[in-house]
Amino acid sequence: MKNPFKKKNKLYLSDKQPLTPLGVVGLGLTYLVLAIWVIAILWPLAQMIISAFNGKQEQYIMLNDNFEFSMEHFKYLFSETLYLTWVKNTLFISITTAIFTLIMVSFTGFAYSRYRFKGRKASLMAIMLIQTIPTFAGITAYFTMHSIISSIAPWFTRQLMLILIYSGGGIAGNTFILKGYIDSISSELDDAARIDGCSSMQVYRLIIMPIARPMLAIIALWSFIGPFMDYLLPRVLLTNPKSYTLAAGLFTLISDFRTLNQPAFAAGGLLTAVPIVTLFIVLQKQLVSGLASGSVKG
Amino acid sequence: MKVTLKDIGKKYEGREEFTLRNINLEIENQDFCVILGPSGCGKTTLLRMIAGLNSITEGDLLFGDKRMNKVPSKDRDIAMVFQSYALYPHMTVYDNMAFSLSMRKERKKIIHDRVMEAAELLQIKDYLYSKPSDISGGQRQRVALGRAMVRKPAVFLMDEPLSNLDAKLREHMRVELVRLHKQLGTTSIYVTHDQTEAMTMATKIVLMNDGKIQQAGVPDEFYNKPANIFVAKFIGSPTMNIIEGTIKKGKFISDDELVVITPSVSDTEKLLAYENKKVSVGIRPERFESGGEFGDTISAKIDVVEMLGKEKILHVKLDNGRELTISTPGHYTYNENEVHSFGFDIESIHFFDTESGNRIN
Repeated sequence: MKNPFKKKNKLYLSDKQPLTPLGVVGLGLTYLVLAIWVIAILWPLAQMIISAFNGKQEQYIMLNDNFEFSMEHFKYLFSETLYLTWVKNTLFISITTAIFTLIMVSFTGFAYSRYRFKGRKASLMAIMLIQTIPTFAGITAYFTMHSIISSIAPWFTRQLMLILIYSGGGIAGNTFILKGYIDSISSELDDAARIDGCSSMQVYRLIIMPIARPMLAIIALWSFIGPFMDYLLPRVLLTNPKSYTLAAGLFTLISDFRTLNQPAFAAGGLLTAVPIVTLFIVLQKQLVSGLASGSVKG
Repeated sequence: MKVTLKDIGKKYEGREEFTLRNINLEIENQDFCVILGPSGCGKTTLLRMIAGLNSITEGDLLFGDKRMNKVPSKDRDIAMVFQSYALYPHMTVYDNMAFSLSMRKERKKIIHDRVMEAAELLQIKDYLYSKPSDISGGQRQRVALGRAMVRKPAVFLMDEPLSNLDAKLREHMRVELVRLHKQLGTTSIYVTHDQTEAMTMATKIVLMNDGKIQQAGVPDEFYNKPANIFVAKFIGSPTMNIIEGTIKKGKFISDDELVVITPSVSDTEKLLAYENKKVSVGIRPERFESGGEFGDTISAKIDVVEMLGKEKILHVKLDNGRELTISTPGHYTYNENEVHSFGFDIESIHFFDTESGNRIN
C-alpha cells in the first residue's frame, strides 16, 4: 500500500499538519511583513554606516550614488570635537551606574524575595507605582537636590547626580525583576546552605548570586546601556560640553549649525555601538545559560 | 545523640491557631525515628524546628542535655536531606559535598578524605566532577545523602527524601538507607507520609495528625495495637474496616444489626465498662476467615475483585449496601456477584471507643 504521508521518498518529519493552500498564502504574507520590517530597521542603519565611511558626503548627508571610501569623518570626530571626552564621560557614568545598580538590586531583590517584614507589600506597590512616572518629571527636584548636596559636598558634580538618577530608577525597576527570579529559586537551597554554615550574606553570595547570574547579567547590561541611550537628562542637567555624554555630545553635531556635521554624527553613532556590543559579547555566556536547571528535581 | 522534645509548640506569624502544640517526644541515641502523618499534619514543621529553620514558639528542644532552642542551625551539629535534594546547581558533586566542611574552614586534606569516604560508601565516585544537572534522580539522591554524611553530624534529618524517586528505586534506597544507618549509627529523624517507608525503616514511629502525636512506638505496635481509630485507619493497606455499633450483653452489635461479634474472653472483660455504649470494631482485611464456619459470620456479596497476585482484595457489600474490604490469598477462587459467608479472627479484633476514638482492648 502506498503511504500517503510519504512524499517523493522524503519522510514528513514535522509535528505540524501539512500546509493547506490558504496556509501557504498566509505564511507568505507573514514573511512579507517580516521582510518589510527588517528593511525598515536595516536600511537606515545601512545608510548610517555608508555615510560614515563616504568621503563624498559633506556637512549634510545627501542620498546619492557617489561613494568614496574614506575615514575623514572619523578623523573630524576625533580631532575637531570632544568625542573622546564624551566617550570617557559616558563610560564613567554607565559603568558606575551598572555597578551601583547591581549591588543595590542584589540586596533589595534578595530581601524582598526571602524575608517577610512590615511594609513589604506596601513598599513593593510603591516601587511599582513610582515606575509609571517619567524620570524627567522630577527635573526641578533634581536641580534642587543637586544644589543642596553640592553646597555641602562640592565634589558632587552634575555627572554624579546623573548617576544617582539612573541607578535610582534602575534599582526600582530591577528589584522587581530580580525578586521574581530569586522567587523561582527553591528556598530549600537557602535552608541547605544555612545548615551547611552560611550566614545570610553568604547564602546570597555563594548560592543565590551564582544561580541568578543570567538575570544579573541582563540587569548589568540594561543599566549600562541606559546612559548611552538617554539624551534628555544629560542635555538638561549637564551644562558644559566637556561633561556631556555621547548622546548629548553627538546631538550638537546635528542640532547646532555652527558645528553641524551629519556624516560625523553617523560615524559617532556607529562607534557608540562598540562598547555595548563588547559588553554583550562578554556577558553572552551568562545571558543564555540556564544554570538553575538540575538543582532540584524538575 | 539523644533528642528530647518537651512540650514543643509552634504558631506561625499571622495565624490564629497553633500549628503544633504539646509535642513530647524522646528519640534515643542511634534511633531511626520516622515521623509519619498525612499532608499538613505539621510533621515537616516539627523537623524544621529541630533543624533550626523554624523558630520554636514554646517548649524545649534538647540535644543530649543541651537546650537548642536559640542555637542557629549551623551550630546544632545536624545535617539535613531535603525532599528536592537542594543540591547547589552551580557546583560539582564534589564541591557540593565539600561545601559544609569548607564553610567550617576544615583542612583540604581532611575534606578530600571525607568526601572520598562518603563517595565510596554511596558509590558515586564516577561522577564526582559532574554538575547536579548532568546526573540522574537516583544519583542526585545519593549526592544529597553524601553531602549530609561528610559532616559526620550528631543528628541526621531527612524530609521525605525518597518521594521523588520511582517505585523501584525507592524500594532499593529504602534498604540502602537502613544499611547506612546501621553502619553509621547516627541518630536519624525521617519525615514521610508513606507508611511503607515508616514500617520498614523505623526503629521508632511517631504518627502525627492535626498537630498532635497520635501514637509513638515500634512498627509492630502500630499494626497490631493501634492506639486509636486514626492510627488504625492510617496504617495498613488496604485500610482497616471500621464498623460502628454498641455492646449489648457482652456482644458487639453493629448499628445496622447485620454484624454480631462475640469478643474473646480477655476482650470481654475490658468491654464490661462499655455495656450499652457506642463502640467501634476494627478488623484488618486479611483477618477475615473464609471457606468454613467460624462462629459469628456475616454473609456478603462480592462487588469487585482486585487481583494483586499474591492476594485478592475483595470489595464486598452487606445486605444494606455497607462496604467491607477483605483480603484473601491469591489462589483462592472468588467471583463477582457471589455470596459468601466470612468469619472473624476473634483474637485480632480491635475495639475502639467511638466517642474518643481510643483503643479499648
